[in-house]
Amino acid sequence: MVQTEVAMEAYNAFWVNGLVPYSEYLWMITILVISLLALWQARVFIRDF
Amino acid sequence: MDIESLKVNEYKKKVKKGYMWAIFSALLWGIWYIPGTVIWTLNPFDTMSIDIGLSHGDTAALIVTAILISAFSAAMIIITLGLWNLVTGKFKEIKRTAVQFKSCSKWFILAAVCGGPLAIFGSYLAMGFVGGAFAAVASLLFPVVSSIVANRWYGEKITRRAAIGIFLIIIGGVSIYIGGMVTEMMAEGVRWLGYAGGAMAALGFGLEGAVAGKGIDLAEPDAGLYVRFLAEATMWWFIIIPILLILGFPMLTYALAVFEPLTLLVLVFIGLSFGYCYAACYKAFPLIGVGRGQGVANLYGLCAVIFILLFMGDFPGWTLLVGGALCLIGSTVMYSENVSEEAIRV
Repeated sequence: MVQTEVAMEAYNAFWVNGLVPYSEYLWMITILVISLLALWQARVFIRDF
Repeated sequence: MDIESLKVNEYKKKVKKGYMWAIFSALLWGIWYIPGTVIWTLNPFDTMSIDIGLSHGDTAALIVTAILISAFSAAMIIITLGLWNLVTGKFKEIKRTAVQFKSCSKWFILAAVCGGPLAIFGSYLAMGFVGGAFAAVASLLFPVVSSIVANRWYGEKITRRAAIGIFLIIIGGVSIYIGGMVTEMMAEGVRWLGYAGGAMAALGFGLEGAVAGKGIDLAEPDAGLYVRFLAEATMWWFIIIPILLILGFPMLTYALAVFEPLTLLVLVFIGLSFGYCYAACYKAFPLIGVGRGQGVANLYGLCAVIFILLFMGDFPGWTLLVGGALCLIGSTVMYSENVSEEAIRV
């Protein structure tokens, strides 16, 4: 199902008041970075214990 | 170095890692409220709530949409946790944990019942009806539930410090709920279902903490968690959604319409943030104890408010801030308890 114009407007409206620039992308990058760090630490944890 | 010093060093190393996992859990749990809130506006969920709203009323529409979102969330978490178990090499453990029903997997299945249809579904209801910041702060009450259940169920003693923490969290919770409801009563009428969702989340996460504590005593946390999410996904896809189909809701039509790039992308980030938050939480509990683990992980409320402010620019109301601050102080009091004060299960 394609996104309707109303859905895209509502989605884009979330990021209009964001305090950081490029909020619409930065939240995804933040999740990716924390997740990758957690995965790496899980690997380190297996090696150490 | 003698054996005693080695033991002390090993213990310190484990505690340090335990706090690290609890902080990872708080960060990922906090940021989950962003994809968890925006998914409501994307198709097929947006069209679904409008269409079902026209035929069955708005309340039914939001409940049914929250069910489909929760089901996809569980499915996505299975995929992301699959990657986690691949990296940590725990796939063999999953089968071993799942087949040990009597001693092990029954606790994770029970944890799935408390965490899925009660806590995660309740969180999505609170996000959809009231908003992300409210959903995040309302769940801060969960350590109260898990402490009381652990006390009543397997005799875990509530120390004086823990009791003070519980009292502060309850006062904070009351402030969060009453403040928001009074403001709404004066304006447009209360969105009861959203507040009920917040209460369901606190109750569900609290019960899950107490139940999972029993399972993690015997199982490997990564494998146990995977079994817990397999059970949750089974409940959504093989019990609840078929019941809704029988009741006449077009669940399959909307479920099959989910293959849209932006919707799938947001679902992947739901899977990553919430799946890995759970993995970190389950890793922290055996290292620093359920009480401390929950105390630190409860920082997710603060993280959620900060992330929502940074990325969405939503500043929470003062009742939310005061209530959230009281909950955080209460969690800190609980977590700063001396080890010797800690009770042992009987």
